[in-house]
Amino acid sequence: MILTPPSHGLYRSVVTGSRATPLSTCDDGVLARTVSGAAGEDASAAETELYRRFAPRVRLFGLKHLSDRAAADDLAQQVMLVVITRLRTGEVREPDQIGSFVLGTSRMMVTGKNRGERRRAAIFARFDAHEQTIDPANDLALDGMRLAPCLAALRERERTILLLTYYADKSAPEIAAAIGATAGAVRVGRHRALASMRECIETRRAS
Amino acid sequence: MSATRTPCPSFGELADYWTSDITPGDAEQIESHVFDCERCARLLAEADRLRTGIGALARSGQVHGFVTDAILNRLARDGVRVRSYALGPGESVRCAVWADDDVLVTRLRGNFAGVESVDADLRLDSGEEWAHTTDIPVPEGATELVMALPAALVRAAPQIPIRLTLRESASSGSERVLAEYVFDHEGALDRGTSSNDRG
Repeated sequence: MILTPPSHGLYRSVVTGSRATPLSTCDDGVLARTVSGAAGEDASAAETELYRRFAPRVRLFGLKHLSDRAAADDLAQQVMLVVITRLRTGEVREPDQIGSFVLGTSRMMVTGKNRGERRRAAIFARFDAHEQTIDPANDLALDGMRLAPCLAALRERERTILLLTYYADKSAPEIAAAIGATAGAVRVGRHRALASMRECIETRRAS
Repeated sequence: MSATRTPCPSFGELADYWTSDITPGDAEQIESHVFDCERCARLLAEADRLRTGIGALARSGQVHGFVTDAILNRLARDGVRVRSYALGPGESVRCAVWADDDVLVTRLRGNFAGVESVDADLRLDSGEEWAHTTDIPVPEGATELVMALPAALVRAAPQIPIRLTLRESASSGSERVLAEYVFDHEGALDRGTSSNDRG
C-alpha cells in the first residue's frame, strides 16, 4: 500500500494492488490502516479524510448524549484527537473496526468528566482548520428557509405530532394522550410526516 | 464501510433516535450502525437538521395551526411572546396584533363530544377563504381547541371580520358544523403610536 505523491489533501489516493483509490472513497479500514502506516503529509491527508468522515458522527453522538451543541463540537474534536493519536502509535488493534473504536472512544469520553482547559486549547489548535467541515450551521439555515412552507403544508395532525416530538420533547404516549390517538399511530404519523417533509424540501431544493 | 454491517434503518427509525421514545438499546444499535455507515450517518444528521429546524421555526413564532398546552408551555419557556384570546361558540372577539407579539393564540371553546377530528375554515367577511385546514385531532373529553397563528401572518390580514367555522372532519362522513366564531380583526397596533392600549 503506497500513498500517491501529495497533491491536494482530500483528493489524494491510496494504492491497493494495481489501482489507485481516492481516499474519499476507500473503506474506513483502509483509511485507518493508512493513518497507522503512513508518515508526514501522507498521514495528514488520511487523517483529514478520517476526521471528515467520523467527526460528524461523533458530533451527532454528542448531541444525543450531551444535549449541547458546543459540548458536542468539543467531543468530536477530542475523540478524533484520541483516535488519530492511537492510530499513529499503533494502539488500535483492529483498524478494520475503526467505526467501533471511534464509537467506543466517544462513549468513554461522554462518561468522563475531566476536560481541562489546557487540553481543550491544544485540541482546538490541532483541529482548528477542520472545524468548518463539521459545522452544519449553513445547512441548517438553508433547511430553515425551506422548512417553514413544508411544515405548513403538512396535515394538521402530523404537524402537531412533529411539534410535540421535536419542539416540546414529548414521547409518543404523551402525544397520543394529547391528541386522542394511540402511541403506535403517533409513531406512524411521525414517520409519514418526516417523509412528507423530506419530499417537500427536496422538491423545493430542485425547483 | 464495514463487511459486518447491520441492515440500514429507515429514515423514520433514524429520526426516532432524536426522540424521547428511543430505548437505550435501540439507541446503541443505531449508534453502532451509524459509526460503520456513512450514508446512515448523513441521514441521521439530516434528521437532526429537521428537528432543530422545526424547533427554530417554533422559537421564531412560526407556529401555524392547532397546538396543545405542551407547545404553548414550551413557547413560554423559550420567551416567545404569545397573545391569547378565548371565545365560545357563536361569540365574536375584537382582536389585534401588537408590534411585539410573536404568536396569536385563540382558545376555541365548544362541545366536541364524540368528535375525533375537525376541519376548520377561516373566511373573510366577503366570503373569500383565508385559510382552511383539515384533520385537527380532538382528544377525548376536549372542551376547547387551541389555534395558533404567527403574528406576522395576522398583521398582514385585512382589517375586516374573519369567520371561523369548525366542522366534524369530512373523513368522518358528517361535516356537521360544530361551532362558529368571529374575529373582528383590528389590524396591527404599536404601543409607541397608539393610545388605545388594550394589551
